Amino acid sequence: MDCKKRSTLLTIGAIIAGYAALRTVPSLLPEKLELQALDRPEGFRKFVAGETSGGFDPFVGLGTADSTEVAAQKAAALTRVSENICSALYGGLSPTPTQVPMASFSDYYCPFCRVQTKRLADMTSEMPDKIAVAWHELPLLGDSSNLAAKAALAAKRQGAYVAFHERLMTTPFQASPEYLARLSDDIGVDSKKLITDMESAEITRELEDSAALARVFAFVGTPALVIGRTVVQGQISDRMVREIIELEREEGWRDVCTAA
Amino acid sequence: MLIQMTVRVSHLGAWPLLFFLGCMGIFLSDAVKAAESESFSNPAVTARLISAEDGIAPDAASVSLGLALEYGEGWKGYWRTPGEVGLAPAIDWTGSTNLKSAELLWPAPERFEAFGIENFGYSGRVVLPIRARLEDAGHPLELRARVSLLTCSTVCVPHDFELSLALPQGIGIDTNSARQIATYADRVPAVPENSDIRISVTALDARDSALIVLATSDTPFGEVDVFPEFGPLVTFGKPDIRLDRDRTELWAQIPINAWTEEHAEPSVTITDTARAITAPITLTSDPPAPPFSSANPRTSLLKVVAVAAIAFLGGLILNVMPCVLPVLSIKLTSVLKVTGQTRQMTRNGFLFSALGVLTFVWALAAALVFLQWIGVSVGWGIQFQNPVFVTLMFMVIAVFAANLFGAFEITLPAALQDRLGASNARAEYISDFGTGLLAAILATPCSAPFLGTAITFALAGTQLDVMVIFTALGLGLALPYLVIAARPELVTRLPRPGRWMLLVRILLGGLLLATAAWLLFVLVGVAGGRAAAFISALTAVFIVAASIPQANQWVRRAVLSACVFLAIFGAGLTSTPDRTTAGVDATSHWQDFEPLGIARRVSEGETVFVDVTADWCLTCKANKSLVLDRDPVRARLRGGFVIAIQADWTRPDDNIARFLERYDRYGIPFNIVFGPGSPSGIALPEILTPQAVLDALDTASVRSVASE
Repeated sequence: MDCKKRSTLLTIGAIIAGYAALRTVPSLLPEKLELQALDRPEGFRKFVAGETSGGFDPFVGLGTADSTEVAAQKAAALTRVSENICSALYGGLSPTPTQVPMASFSDYYCPFCRVQTKRLADMTSEMPDKIAVAWHELPLLGDSSNLAAKAALAAKRQGAYVAFHERLMTTPFQASPEYLARLSDDIGVDSKKLITDMESAEITRELEDSAALARVFAFVGTPALVIGRTVVQGQISDRMVREIIELEREEGWRDVCTAA
Repeated sequence: MLIQMTVRVSHLGAWPLLFFLGCMGIFLSDAVKAAESESFSNPAVTARLISAEDGIAPDAASVSLGLALEYGEGWKGYWRTPGEVGLAPAIDWTGSTNLKSAELLWPAPERFEAFGIENFGYSGRVVLPIRARLEDAGHPLELRARVSLLTCSTVCVPHDFELSLALPQGIGIDTNSARQIATYADRVPAVPENSDIRISVTALDARDSALIVLATSDTPFGEVDVFPEFGPLVTFGKPDIRLDRDRTELWAQIPINAWTEEHAEPSVTITDTARAITAPITLTSDPPAPPFSSANPRTSLLKVVAVAAIAFLGGLILNVMPCVLPVLSIKLTSVLKVTGQTRQMTRNGFLFSALGVLTFVWALAAALVFLQWIGVSVGWGIQFQNPVFVTLMFMVIAVFAANLFGAFEITLPAALQDRLGASNARAEYISDFGTGLLAAILATPCSAPFLGTAITFALAGTQLDVMVIFTALGLGLALPYLVIAARPELVTRLPRPGRWMLLVRILLGGLLLATAAWLLFVLVGVAGGRAAAFISALTAVFIVAASIPQANQWVRRAVLSACVFLAIFGAGLTSTPDRTTAGVDATSHWQDFEPLGIARRVSEGETVFVDVTADWCLTCKANKSLVLDRDPVRARLRGGFVIAIQADWTRPDDNIARFLERYDRYGIPFNIVFGPGSPSGIALPEILTPQAVLDALDTASVRSVASE
């Protein structure tokens, strides 16, 4: 009788284990951390994710028929950024010796960007001693995209960047003052300040710098992520982000910044 | 015939085709150039401008063009309404000569879902037909198209490029391009006059915050989808689409994620296997009810097996739920009482109990299939909304409790015993069967966590699914009986009768009494206090009548039947229909259920917590006292930042039933949180934990992240 009982238990156990394996193993199997050194900017390297990134012209964004004045500003931004890539990339962060800085580039119209913003925010609160995130906006998709980016950066000045993005997760962005006022209330920021900031020179400059960085790193689209000295283009799993963070912590990322 | 040949030949490239056509001397005039632009190409997309005509014929005032797009593997592009995010392709024709206007046509889109975000667009190959009008008929056309489009795979890459195409005077047809343009022009949704699909009603369901679309078709619908367009400020979630039996009538409910009164001129596009329609719509505010079951109840065998396993487990767990445990106890006492039973008799007894469980479950399944068939929306536990049912249950349980406390012995009427013949065993079997039946009936309000899933699945599935899953549920519930039936020796392991049995009896009686008290509480909710008092009085009379030993047989019987009869009719007649005043006290932070209000408040940026509960739902009560009415959840709900809404399903309520159905739930407890961060709601598990509630509130409100 005991023998029978045991065999029944074993069978049930095997079924459960099999099901669990079926559910979990595929997600554990693939994904190798493959990195490729970049020629420019020097010292940085790229996370090679499948075949998505190659073969594009680094682009300039939609609907940009630049005037000479705008072109000059862009050139200035490019020079400014190239002089000190790290401060442009991780500006405003002062990472402790144990922290790895990350720069996230996102666009309001890009579906995965929203997910990435949320994930990075979660990761930051989970391991604040290991990472610090600098938020960049890379509005590539026309006027609304631009306005949403300005609003996001204005929200960032009041410490509500992530809240802003989450608030817009499934609802469309509107540029009207009434909408911005309501949105400010929702995410707990001062709406007057938000609207003034949106049109400020600092935010214009911040956007120019982010765009210049995108050119320096030859991003083809959004989302984009720089972790220490590793460049990631497009969607990436949490697991890989964590691995890269560990790698950066082990190998150190500061050399590249003092060099650049 | 010719077309077919040219198709084959065209695989070899344009030259053999042109050579072939040239030899045949058909169509070809002096313009021997393929009418297409240079191509813009990268891994995400290859784009060309193509023309059906090689040249502009004399007097031609228009020309058919197309933007031929071929998206790379894994890349997607967008429709004119891209969905919640994304961007539609756009063409700027500045710099073209002799072009009066160019209208871009949009073939029927596909729906993509990624990270919970709905998008509409294309993948693979698509041609966006362009209807171009000329300034001067018959004159050459020079096209300069500045195309901007967004493609997304794991990364979103925008493209901004220029394509040019010159069409001189001439009369040739580029068969290949013409065919491609024609193919995709056919896929452009038809106007209402040219379609056999008729959109009969589009209603704004303010209560559910959804758009309801009704349509009919002469030919049956196949793979159908519905895309409402209200301009960029209004977005929708995933539609719930249902078809009638012969698939010619469609009902769709599309949840609204973002809404504004100042929306654009609305239209609805319905796409089907090989046809589509776009029709301008007039909104009404009178939503028709969901008439049919879900359109695509495709369920794989594996899934049925998995859910059946869950149902089995759920049934097993129900045995230890407070509503069933007492019945199991009745059974065990009966065994303790009768010692010296033969092995065979014990086995059969328990088998009959198991059969009783299964019988009820099967009856329930059959009833559900029938209700499903006639189109009634059904829920688990709703039998407790029926005062007559609750009354009967209350009386049965109260009488059993009295019996356990020794008020009287239940004996079958002598006549019945006689009829059942000398075999006393048979009477025993009937009571065994009744025990099983009772256990199953009592189990229904304890919608254990596993059960919700299984029953939801069964109700959305086919009749066979319902049967399989309910059988699994019944087997789970009957497992304790089956185990004893398989090994009657186990009964002998039970301790010998003695004084302790009295104790057990009192304990079990206590449990039953508690169950009866709970049923009475339910009765107060369902039928009102007066009816409940009346019925408890009748039950008391019943018990007293049964327990007076010297009473005349006939009088006793008359009194007992009268009690049952009066109770049943009393429950039906005296139940007070109005219940609004019951339960909800004025100072409570719980507000009344009003689905429309939820959407409005969410669009105003507020967070809403909805608790669907009922007096008969024990798990709901547990959630309430262990989580919802305790800090920190209570503090959060009362804090003013969250609107707490309670939907009381103690009595039947169409609004609530539909609300549940919208989230694929058929039983309660059901708790869901809406907010700016989750306009379509975060459904919580059946058994709540403070952490789960707080997390959901955080995610929905977004507020907490701001303070981090």
